[in-house]
Amino acid sequence: MKLRRKLFSSKDPYDCTKQQLFLDACKENFNHLINNCDDYKKICEGLDIHSSEDIKGVEDIPIIPTMLMKQHDFRSGRYMVMATSSGTSGKKSHVRFEFGALWSALKMSIRVTRYHGIMTAKPCRYIVMGYKPHRSNKTAVAKTAYLTTFLAPAISRKFILKHTSEGYKPDFESIVEALKKYEKGKAPVRFMGFPSYTFFLFRLLEERGLSFKLPKGSKVMLGGGWKQFYQEAADKETFYKLAKKTLNIDEENIVEFFGAVEHPILYTDCAYHHFHVPVYSNIVIRDPDTLEPIGMEKTGLVNLISPLCKATPILSIMTDDLGILHDGANCPCGVKSPYLEIVGRVAPDDIKTCAAGAADILQGVKV
Amino acid sequence: MILFDGKTYESSEQDRLLNELEERIPVILSKEQLSPEVVIDAVEQLRVDLLKGRFDDLLTAFPEDTVETYKQQAEALLSKEHLHKKLVTELGNTEEYVTDKIDGFSQIKVKKMPLGVLFHIAAGNMDFLPAYSLAEGLMTGNINILKLPSADNGLSLKLIMQLIEYRPELKDYIYVFDTASTDIQGMRKMAELSNAISVWGSDMAIEAVRGLAPTGAKIIEWGQKLGFCYVSKPGESADADAKLEGLAKHIATTKQLLCSSCQIIYIDTEDMNEVKAFAERFLPILETAVNGNATQEIGIRARDTLVSYTQRLKSYLGEEDRRDNVLRGKGCSVIIAEDSALELSPMMCNVLVKRLPRKDIGKVLYAHRYHLQTAGLICPDEDRKSISELFVQCGLIRVTEPKDMSAYFPGECHDGEYALNRYMRIVNIEC
Repeated sequence: MKLRRKLFSSKDPYDCTKQQLFLDACKENFNHLINNCDDYKKICEGLDIHSSEDIKGVEDIPIIPTMLMKQHDFRSGRYMVMATSSGTSGKKSHVRFEFGALWSALKMSIRVTRYHGIMTAKPCRYIVMGYKPHRSNKTAVAKTAYLTTFLAPAISRKFILKHTSEGYKPDFESIVEALKKYEKGKAPVRFMGFPSYTFFLFRLLEERGLSFKLPKGSKVMLGGGWKQFYQEAADKETFYKLAKKTLNIDEENIVEFFGAVEHPILYTDCAYHHFHVPVYSNIVIRDPDTLEPIGMEKTGLVNLISPLCKATPILSIMTDDLGILHDGANCPCGVKSPYLEIVGRVAPDDIKTCAAGAADILQGVKV
Repeated sequence: MILFDGKTYESSEQDRLLNELEERIPVILSKEQLSPEVVIDAVEQLRVDLLKGRFDDLLTAFPEDTVETYKQQAEALLSKEHLHKKLVTELGNTEEYVTDKIDGFSQIKVKKMPLGVLFHIAAGNMDFLPAYSLAEGLMTGNINILKLPSADNGLSLKLIMQLIEYRPELKDYIYVFDTASTDIQGMRKMAELSNAISVWGSDMAIEAVRGLAPTGAKIIEWGQKLGFCYVSKPGESADADAKLEGLAKHIATTKQLLCSSCQIIYIDTEDMNEVKAFAERFLPILETAVNGNATQEIGIRARDTLVSYTQRLKSYLGEEDRRDNVLRGKGCSVIIAEDSALELSPMMCNVLVKRLPRKDIGKVLYAHRYHLQTAGLICPDEDRKSISELFVQCGLIRVTEPKDMSAYFPGECHDGEYALNRYMRIVNIEC
């Protein structure tokens, strides 16, 4: 995986000149997958892609929809860590990462977060608007939210979702108490996690007429899945206003991340709230009827490509999001790579056939 | 959300409410029986308000033309007249009668009574099915526990609450739970409270319900079925093209998701060349129908494309490899297979074409007897009667025009039985 190492060692996380290296790293990854994952090979052959010679551009790489990953567990070699998507109704994708993937992901995270000024040496207090890590929770969301608390040295960590004997429960009261304490201190406070919980906290503070002047350098970091991202998108302006009103945090100190467990690339919004595509990935928007690439500025299915991982065939995946790829050349932030806008999702996956029928009702029933 | 005694509760109160229900059931059973007239009246009021547009805001999730079709159907099918007719068709005479005197034996009074408590596990593939299933339980005077399908968008609950608003006496007979798919304990408790379980679903789902149910409970199964269309001598049958267009339209509109939907087109031949020739003829017809039915909603189009693509990849992962025999069109495909087995297609306008010479019909249908329901038929007029007879002799329930494979026919049965009849029992009281 020489080319992967080279790609993930790029100094500039938004370097637009590395397209050839990117394609070559993808081919390298493809060669590994086709030789080590029988299921991947079957799919490639079905799609008439027999070797990396058949791949002329990133759009030719066989696409695996996350819908299929939720129904079929792919394996391609040894792994160190397994993460699952936070899928509902028992449908989850399993993604396995080998050491090289984790190492590359770490290098990527450092470069990207440094670029956006999120990684600093100044100690912070963290309020994680998400899960407290617990051995019963394997979702990637819990893991990444926890990992982000290492981006700057942590003085303390508080989690809004507590694991109780009845499962995860939000605990807003203790967060309000903590804020009262932190306001008097000097250390910046960082919120991290689900936009929905963060929004709820702001509303709660507003309803109670509470506002805090958090120390300089405090940030709100949002992540935790594209679904949440999309659902909250309409309320973004309100969100920024409430952050200012209740916590005295300015818009430029609100940073959003997204990624998916099936495409663990760190997308971070720029000062203009654009999610530019980093050097580690490519995005192809596809026609909702034919799956052919449709170029920029048009809405279609989102195909995400990255040669990050060997242990699961997630080289080229397709989520159930609908998005538009915009030309990034004119973004005043200086990054020239295109940026992705998620505009919605495909219709709910409620295609119930007679065959499926009540089967979903009885998931997990073994008799 | 739970609907219990006409009031809504949080899902977390399920255990407490189920315990309370156990106490309530004997009390309700001891009361005077619920008259079907009450239910019919409530449904009629629902119909009137629906046609007045009172529920339009609930229907915004559906495409406009679908709403129109639903309203047209509701106008006819939810009317007092139709429901009364349904009662008579499905239950026959419900008046009690006394048997004739036979020397040496006592006479008995005979009448039909509700089973008692019905537990409905409805599928989510038909809009309104949960509410419809419940209404049938009410018309037969049963107490109904309804487990909503996970995909239910809240519409069922709203419609059911509306019925209670019209006729508050219905509240004793309606208990709706949004139990999670994984809450086996909760479902087992519901099953234990019931006399019968009405379940819609696949073989697997039904098997699971059988395991869940107490030994004595009656299981009313509405299992998975597979529809097909039989094409015999299309060259000789009048309007074959129009009929194929009707079939294509049926496939495009149902997307092959229903039990009655066409999964396979059987050609009356042994010659694979004829099968291939048919597939080539049918593809453009199907493509036209699919494009004509294409929705403008990008979310739905994208979902259908994703589902279809996923199915295609799944077929590559399976044992059989059919890629050389697939004719692909825009948004659809025709898959040529050499065997004659009745099976589920990849759905979403991807139809299988197989050979089935007339002499083999009996053999193939017998092998798939548990999954038979609807067959569309394209053949010369003079063969129509004999093929239809052959089909029903071999276990089919409906033989229709290709365009009508999923149509509703007033007075029709479901899977060979009348639902209302299955929800009642016959009692004898010695005079």
